[in-house]
Amino acid sequence: MNDSSIVLLAQGLTKSYGRVQALRGVELEVQRGEVFGFLGPNGAGKTTTIRILLDLIRPDGGTVRVLGLDPQKDALEVRARCGYLPGELHLEDAETVETILKQFNTLRGGKADWTYIRNLADRLGLDLKTQTKNLSKGNKQKVGVVQALMHRPELLLLDEPTSGLDPLIQQEVHKLIGEAKADGATIFFSSHVIGEVEQLADRVGIIRKGMVVEVAETQALIKRALRRARVRFGGEIQVPTLEDIPGVSILSRSADSVTLRVEGEMDALIKELAKFPVIEFETERPSLEEIFLAYYER
Amino acid sequence: MFTIFNQSLRRWKWQIIGWGSSMSIIAVYLMWLYKPMLEQQAQLKNLFDAYGKEMLSFFGGTADIFSAGGYLNFAFFSYVPVAIGILALLLGSGLVVADEEKGTLDLILAHPITRTALFWGRWLALAATLTAVLLLAWLGFAVGLSWTGLDTTAWQVLLPHISLLSILLLFGTLALFLSLLLPSRTLAASVTGVLLLVSYFVTSLASINDTLEPLNTFSPLKYYQGGSAVNGLEWGPLLSTLGIALVLAALAWLLFQRRDIRVSGEGNWRLPFLK
Repeated sequence: MNDSSIVLLAQGLTKSYGRVQALRGVELEVQRGEVFGFLGPNGAGKTTTIRILLDLIRPDGGTVRVLGLDPQKDALEVRARCGYLPGELHLEDAETVETILKQFNTLRGGKADWTYIRNLADRLGLDLKTQTKNLSKGNKQKVGVVQALMHRPELLLLDEPTSGLDPLIQQEVHKLIGEAKADGATIFFSSHVIGEVEQLADRVGIIRKGMVVEVAETQALIKRALRRARVRFGGEIQVPTLEDIPGVSILSRSADSVTLRVEGEMDALIKELAKFPVIEFETERPSLEEIFLAYYER
Repeated sequence: MFTIFNQSLRRWKWQIIGWGSSMSIIAVYLMWLYKPMLEQQAQLKNLFDAYGKEMLSFFGGTADIFSAGGYLNFAFFSYVPVAIGILALLLGSGLVVADEEKGTLDLILAHPITRTALFWGRWLALAATLTAVLLLAWLGFAVGLSWTGLDTTAWQVLLPHISLLSILLLFGTLALFLSLLLPSRTLAASVTGVLLLVSYFVTSLASINDTLEPLNTFSPLKYYQGGSAVNGLEWGPLLSTLGIALVLAALAWLLFQRRDIRVSGEGNWRLPFLK
């Protein structure tokens, strides 16, 4: 991989708010053209990381490169090439949606294509003539989505992009993200909605207490990690024998069956089970949610 | 920078119209009032003698009240720094922090504008807004001069407005500086407001009480000429006031450059130099 294929790079990123350590050495690498889901619960450091990428806040330590540029030294170029949707979107109250979008467009040098903007607004069911003070949270979020996409940025930084949107509009936003990717954009989005990350992301990074604890292809993460296994035996067995196998834990058991959670390879479990009369053996692929929770239980 | 300047001026257009037209109407009324006052000089002198000199000191004293400079000072320029000062400190304290507290600054600064352009674009808009309000006030005086017996010219009446602009810029910029140092816009505006009032009281009372003079040295309003500027500007105090305003603006800009843009719930307030 050459350097130009890396769109986002964070190395050893640290940030504290007083005594609270928000980031404890975040390591990230996002490649050109991918959709990267940044997963973590509230307060894990997702928003802090995104805001550092745009030089809205300054890190205490570490290195950041966005599109190969230093966001502090090359703030103008970085911001010109990025689209940003903040996690907490606030808009001027005394304006119409159209006026707000015109102001944002002016800040970008007035280059946006208004046919495209109207198309985006139509697809999201957003009335451009409405006063922003009369907008619901969901409709404000739509304005945020439009302003992030309207200049067709190379890199989209979306902090909880579907927050407050109804399911139909969420699907439309997912489509827009897919279209942006098809047009060559890189998308970095944070979410605590696991289903959304599972649906959209090529790769996923899990952040826990200010540290990225896992980065993997979404499907690979689901495949390789936890599985749930249900085993029915022909007779009573000594369950503790199974618990001794590394990565295996027992979720429930009865006289002739056991439900297990298996982390990693199944080989040792299957070899152990072969010693017993097994009538039925079922495995279930975990959801990303189960994987995510497993990281947080550690 | 000019995009930000234009957007800020558009945002403050109602402040310009409201404050400017009010000041203009007051100016016209005061010009109209001068002739009747002149005709009742004797009664007025008796009336003023009945008031305590402490009270009259807040209006610049009455020794020279029937001259152009004395009248303008007594009727308008003695107290108007406090009145328009409220506008200046409200605009100054909210220049960048109002958007931060509303949560809109985050998205504005995610666009391709530098913090420097945002800061100076808005500071210039603050200066332009105050200038526009004072020009509308001056227009009222200039129009009123045609039917008053005040012995002065429109150009001469413009000079106290320049002195006033420098003091308003000083307090507006002080509020801006404090807004970047203190935890909230409200606190910055309140502290600046108290300082403005203290300055007004100290400078007014120092004219009748010499013991206040050492303290008055530190009062910004001591370096404000008021109505007496119709006889010519004192460049030293004027440039010093403007210079201090510029130094405060530069310090505020440095604080803004280093600042983490806050959004609600993120980060705690700390003194910037303790970071």
